[in-house]
Amino acid sequence: MDDYAIGVLTNVGLVSFVALSAYLLLLAGEMSFGQQAFFGVGAYAGGMLTAMAGLPLPLAALGAMALGAAAALLVALPTLRLKGLYFAMATLAAAEMMRILFELLHLQREIDGEPVGPDGTQGFRGIRWVLEHGIEPEGYLILVWGVLLAVLVIVLFLENSKLGATLRAVGADPELAASLGVSVERFKLGVAAAAGALAALGGVLYAHHNTYIEPRNFDIMLGVHSLAYALIGGLGTALGPLAGAALDVGLLEGTRLFGGARMIVFGGLVALLLVFRPRGLLDEKVVHWLRARFS
Amino acid sequence: MLLDLAQNTLDGLGAGASYALLALGFTLIFGVLRRMNLSFGPAIMLGCYAATWVNLNFQANLLLLAVVALAATTLAGVYVERLCFAPHRRGSAIAAMVASFALWMQLEELATAFLPRHLYAFPPLYAGGPLELAGLSLRVEAIVMTVAAAGACALLYAILYRSRFGLAVRAVIDSSTAAELSGINVPRVFAAVFALASAIGALAGILIASAHEQVTPMLGMWSTLKGLAAMMLGGLGSLPGAVAGGLALGLLESHSQWYLGPQFRDLTIYLVLFALLALNPRWMTTRSAS
Repeated sequence: MDDYAIGVLTNVGLVSFVALSAYLLLLAGEMSFGQQAFFGVGAYAGGMLTAMAGLPLPLAALGAMALGAAAALLVALPTLRLKGLYFAMATLAAAEMMRILFELLHLQREIDGEPVGPDGTQGFRGIRWVLEHGIEPEGYLILVWGVLLAVLVIVLFLENSKLGATLRAVGADPELAASLGVSVERFKLGVAAAAGALAALGGVLYAHHNTYIEPRNFDIMLGVHSLAYALIGGLGTALGPLAGAALDVGLLEGTRLFGGARMIVFGGLVALLLVFRPRGLLDEKVVHWLRARFS
Repeated sequence: MLLDLAQNTLDGLGAGASYALLALGFTLIFGVLRRMNLSFGPAIMLGCYAATWVNLNFQANLLLLAVVALAATTLAGVYVERLCFAPHRRGSAIAAMVASFALWMQLEELATAFLPRHLYAFPPLYAGGPLELAGLSLRVEAIVMTVAAAGACALLYAILYRSRFGLAVRAVIDSSTAAELSGINVPRVFAAVFALASAIGALAGILIASAHEQVTPMLGMWSTLKGLAAMMLGGLGSLPGAVAGGLALGLLESHSQWYLGPQFRDLTIYLVLFALLALNPRWMTTRSAS
């Protein structure tokens, strides 16, 4: 594989984490415009833990995920009872606050005669754990996709369990779910925390792939894109968000099929697709059909 | 001290008038369709880019540019309605919103395909300096914007409350099913509302572009975010609320910028918005559209 293909595939994997994060909340009936914030929390926390505190990457990832979950809970606690657009706007406001806080964050340390750490709008340079440990781009690609597949296996397994059924019930009809004895609010908080941790995990991997991050990497564009990936790919299975990310980042951006007109073509296609498939390519019907066919 | 306070208030109201226009357009669409149109700002951007293109090639005057922007924005608005909102009229709100985001990307790339530079000059609204009044300076642009916002508001009010079309719109806002049963052509009302909202947006866009004397590719996102924030601040779905929300946003921005600096300005806006939503006061959830 050449470097370009490796880069594209790595990016598809990285953005899939945020798309999956948005997908989980969509299943629970909530549309979040703010998952990019937890991706950012993961990126900053993970980068600081390896580059400044000298922790190994796996430990840093765990710490960042815990922080991502905590931040997601902090946002979800006062907002989860909001509906629809109100929740979307509240999460957008929270995410933009987070991005501005990254802009205000100056916390540098001298390491080997060089300042390392977040420097406001100048970004955060020198997240070099991966380089220092001699991991080649191919190796990192395998790492990203290995982690992603592990996450996918867990999510797919949970989707087919009672937990998954509860999740879809909460999303489809919260009152009915509550009448069946589900503690809807607590359940949604749990989903929000898991989605936050998942986005943060993606963020850690993103920061160590790029070695440089800056606040505007985590602006609203990333959030709306991940929401779109989840919906285009389909709400029937956790493979949907991956399909959405692969379609846009992989196929269209990666192959440079339409050059500068990519979005003119893709934007129109997505809008058309949603007319015919409002719950995405791999929606519940298709997934049921496939499952009946192949099992 | 007091003079600064007065000056900032004046500047805030001027900027707020343009936000009020954006919020009016947003509110009209949201009130009638109960759908969020993320492409609202990008349609305005496309209109302003079309006007800029005409200006670059033909050196037209501002009035003609306004007509071009109006036509292009309205066209884009109706296109968005046909592709993103008409098919999802009874269906998924999320699908409609994501579709409108997809067209956001499309409109933005279309505009930058014609004018790829990062910044283009736009003819000024008024070539002279600000007016001086008792130690305060008052930008002519701000006056024009306030008058335009007030005029648009009055016109909108007249359309909604003094015309047959307005009656149909209010009926649809009340209950689109009941309106449909009583013979109102609901899809046509939707399309007409989109055209009306786009025209208001175009007015806002041309005023903003000529007050800033420039257009950039950020105009689309900027308009969507400002309009959304103003609409939310003013209590979703009420027209007087949209104007109040726009003015409140302008005031909040100018004062927090003065006292706290530009980064804290945006932080303040989002903090206030978040707090209002989280506390969820009654006035933010009123759903009457008029």
